[in-house]
Amino acid sequence: MGRLAASGSALLLALGLLAPAEVPAQTKDDTVVYAIQSDMQNWDPPNSVLRESIILGYHVFDHLAARDLKTGKVGPGLAVSWRNVDDTTWEVKLRKGVKFHDGTPFGAKDVKATFDRVLNPENKLTARGNHAKIKSVEVVDDLTARFKTDGPYPLFVERMTAQVMQSEKVMKEKGHEWMQENPIGTGPYKLVKWSKKQEHLLVRNDDYWGPKPQFKYARIRIIPEQATQIAELISGGVDVIKAVPPDQMDVINKSGQARTASSPILRTAMLQLDQAARSGPNPFTDVRVRKAANLAVDMNSIIKHVINGLGDRTATVVNPMAFGFDPSVKPYTQDAAAAKKLLAEAGYPNGVEVGFLTGPPIVEPAVQQTSEAISADLDKVGIRTKKRYVGEIGPYVNLVRDGKGGPMFEWSWGYYSVFDADAILYDVMKCGEAYSYYCNKALDDLIIQGRSTLDQKQRTEIYQKVQKLLSDDAAYIYKWGLRGVWGISNRIEYAAPRDEVDRMFTVTSRKK
Amino acid sequence: MKRYVLRQLVQLVVVIIGISILSFGILYVLGDPVLLLLPQNAGKEEYERYHRLLGLDKPLYVQYWKFASKAVQGDFGKSWYADTPAFRLVLERMPPTLYLTSAGLVTALLIALPLGILAALKRHSFLDNLCTMIAVAGQAVPIFWLGIMLIIIFAVRLKALPASGYGTWQHFLMPAFCLGAFLAPITMRLVRSGVVEVMNMEFIKTARAKGVGERMVVIKHAFRNACIPVITVLGLQFGQLLGGAIVTETVFAWPGVATLAVDSIRNQDFPVVQCSVVLLALLIVSINFVVDMIVALIDPRIRVGA
Repeated sequence: MGRLAASGSALLLALGLLAPAEVPAQTKDDTVVYAIQSDMQNWDPPNSVLRESIILGYHVFDHLAARDLKTGKVGPGLAVSWRNVDDTTWEVKLRKGVKFHDGTPFGAKDVKATFDRVLNPENKLTARGNHAKIKSVEVVDDLTARFKTDGPYPLFVERMTAQVMQSEKVMKEKGHEWMQENPIGTGPYKLVKWSKKQEHLLVRNDDYWGPKPQFKYARIRIIPEQATQIAELISGGVDVIKAVPPDQMDVINKSGQARTASSPILRTAMLQLDQAARSGPNPFTDVRVRKAANLAVDMNSIIKHVINGLGDRTATVVNPMAFGFDPSVKPYTQDAAAAKKLLAEAGYPNGVEVGFLTGPPIVEPAVQQTSEAISADLDKVGIRTKKRYVGEIGPYVNLVRDGKGGPMFEWSWGYYSVFDADAILYDVMKCGEAYSYYCNKALDDLIIQGRSTLDQKQRTEIYQKVQKLLSDDAAYIYKWGLRGVWGISNRIEYAAPRDEVDRMFTVTSRKK
Repeated sequence: MKRYVLRQLVQLVVVIIGISILSFGILYVLGDPVLLLLPQNAGKEEYERYHRLLGLDKPLYVQYWKFASKAVQGDFGKSWYADTPAFRLVLERMPPTLYLTSAGLVTALLIALPLGILAALKRHSFLDNLCTMIAVAGQAVPIFWLGIMLIIIFAVRLKALPASGYGTWQHFLMPAFCLGAFLAPITMRLVRSGVVEVMNMEFIKTARAKGVGERMVVIKHAFRNACIPVITVLGLQFGQLLGGAIVTETVFAWPGVATLAVDSIRNQDFPVVQCSVVLLALLIVSINFVVDMIVALIDPRIRVGA
């Protein structure tokens, strides 16, 4: 029987079915290895919604504008400057002498082709929604492009950091299908080989216009299991991993092989309350109950003790790193007596029972533990939660989207990596939006005002009003801005990125 | 024998048609596919357009016929998620899984056969009890835990093997052992009880009476007969093995089709789900067909009885 099975696998081998993948020639010294949890669908970033696509896109493509990770400000990328010609026209000057990986020079025609492709509804590209405010792009000359927008578009520059520039020639000559697996960008690395669900091998673009990467090769490995990622990191198989759970930080720091680094990231966590009664009548339609809930919980101690300090307390849903954040609005602090009084005033002297939907810890680390702590605090003032757990992120998001989140549920928002208050207010607070359980005409008016002017000073004032309103009305239970934790090998230097976009081209080797 | 083969083949075709109907039905059990495909704010007009585009306005049997006739040619449509043909995606990912499952099978046999025979021959001895203990432990240990323990010992502590990945022979020692350890216990128990039962049979006594050496009695007479249930169960266990492969592939970052199938279910990527269900079912069914043929070759009673 052993012989039989052996000859069976020999047969499979002979059929070429089992041929192991070829190993490219690179040494450990000239290769940096980065691990991600799941593979992306394609190498066509505007045709994908995954963070992995954004991250890998940064390596092979460039954007018109780029964020300086130290200051958080947006600066030049493939565009060297931009200005408003009028309220609805942006003019962009492009960098000279930039070439695509296939040798064709980059110019305004490529900018136009990129946006024409993304904006054409026939192409069904997922990036279209991000640029819906752009009406058209015109080529002024080889290195100048003009964008016509539908009304004033203050987020224009922010959004320029999120759209990769693709080649007009490739679109015309090779087409959509080919572009799914063959990226031709202007970026610091070129794709050598994509072994699906296994790894991406990138090689340095020696003709790159910007600072060239120190490591000749970048390998991006797909390792679904977190425990395996950590084992790879501390055994030297991988140099950078992200989303390390708080309870695993010690394992890495004590290994002698690697260390952890954390950075605030553009994601705010909250407990949404169904003020809008989307899932039916509930106690949180009364502002007194919402205030009581905010007063009941000692968030600072939860941040300190449950998540090892990996959070920055926020007064509302607006993240401290987003444009428009107002530090003068102070967060609620725990006051159980006041909470009980408010509950009694609202007609619940003996407390009240509410449903509480919780999900898996995929985007927010240790969310189960923090939820437990929060419901214990709520319970003390008389808000007794009845938990319901949904373990898969897809169905969880669908429940919330379809208005079945219930009176109270876990939620966090990543701003689509746009560092602006509008990027959370519109989707999570505006009446009638898919992920909003709050409805307030006064707020809606402010949100619309905020996105309709290019005057940043005026916008700052509008968002100050917004945060005051959100705090006074206790729309949701406000939690904190998240911090991400990275695991970094001791053989390299790498700064944890605040926009959650890892950039292997900034990695340098550590001096011994 | 010819009639037997023919009958098995007809059964095989019936099973495959059944599976294709099931996998076709997946789409309808889970609700309206158009709603899944379209963004939430899509209008009624767009809905109707997609409805027609996907051919959902036609009667069910017409839709099934279209699905089946295309599937036979390897056309399961494009993956909704990856925007590439589903058939190609699944085929690309098939070899690593076949590689892993056959290695797991061989490992399981390498563990189960010697231990099972030994346990049967030395019944109720210390050795037999030890084997039973190993079997119980092996069956009780969750596969992902075993995988992570192996990684901690061999990759992190000893630095002898790569922790995960795919490509060289070193990469596949731990996953193969992991999967083998998952299948070995049940196989070992079967071999043991098979050999025990056969050793009490009349023809073994006859063989011994003829003066055949004990070694030959075990190998030629006892083992051949004890093999039949083992082979049958191994065929049936292949599905289990694929189940184990999902966990093993995840732990060891192995780029196989088992994880692709699970990911596609998560992503609601139905063309890929349908394609992998049909192809994996085809694989299991053909393996069972081969198993039936092997058993028939070994055991004349089966082919004559047919």
